[in-house]
Amino acid sequence: MVRVWDRAVRSFHWALVLSFVTAWLTSHSSEDIHHWADYTAAALVAMRLLWGVLGTPYARFSQFVRDPATVLRYFSAILSGREARYIGHNPAGGAMVVVLIAAMGSTALTGWLMTTDAYFGVSWVETAHSLSAHALLVLVLFHIGGVALASFRHRENLVWAMITGRKRKAEPADIA
Amino acid sequence: MYRTLVLAALAGMIAGPALAAGGSCSTAPKSQFKPKATLEAQLTGEGLTVRQIKVEKGCYEVYAVDKAGKKVNLAYNAETLEKLDNAEAGEN
Repeated sequence: MVRVWDRAVRSFHWALVLSFVTAWLTSHSSEDIHHWADYTAAALVAMRLLWGVLGTPYARFSQFVRDPATVLRYFSAILSGREARYIGHNPAGGAMVVVLIAAMGSTALTGWLMTTDAYFGVSWVETAHSLSAHALLVLVLFHIGGVALASFRHRENLVWAMITGRKRKAEPADIA
Repeated sequence: MYRTLVLAALAGMIAGPALAAGGSCSTAPKSQFKPKATLEAQLTGEGLTVRQIKVEKGCYEVYAVDKAGKKVNLAYNAETLEKLDNAEAGEN
């Protein structure tokens, strides 16, 4: 087994899950808790952006963010059932990290704007908040689907890897 | 006389919090609601800039800013346009 996800990455992941679930459940009930979930998510995203530059090798954006052509090639490899196993994020997973962070960031930002004097009650801000929150939910479902698919194809438990931080070491065909 | 006073005091103790809770949303059908424009005109007259009025069940929830540019969140019974103490009265 090799260490892949450091403590910061794992804490970020599960804290973000918790704040997203909390925010979703309190969107029409408890305003105070909803606002705190927003601030928590925003702080987590800001910390993750910093860690994506300063963090351990597999936490860095430069390690897993690839150009769209590479991502598309990886998708077509998935369709033909020959996609490589990556020790870090595979190209599709790396793209998912980027869009999830973008969606979480814009949801948190527009949510906070709704509470400011300048944008309070402005309907396009409310619409943008609702749209990005729903888009985020859809992305989360695809993320879970992608994790399930990759776990199944490469016979490893990626959810457990995000808890322990460890993964099976690279075999010759894998990409470290 | 004494009994009347006690009863009045008790009634006050029971009704007091209910009154302090600040009324409730209308239970009448939407056709009975006063127009949003009436409420908006009234609020504009009070110096508020109305950004949005939402229908929340039998209430109008108002999103506005005051003269100082500070946000103001208010709720009104949609049938009587009586102001409620809780701006979220129409939700949940």
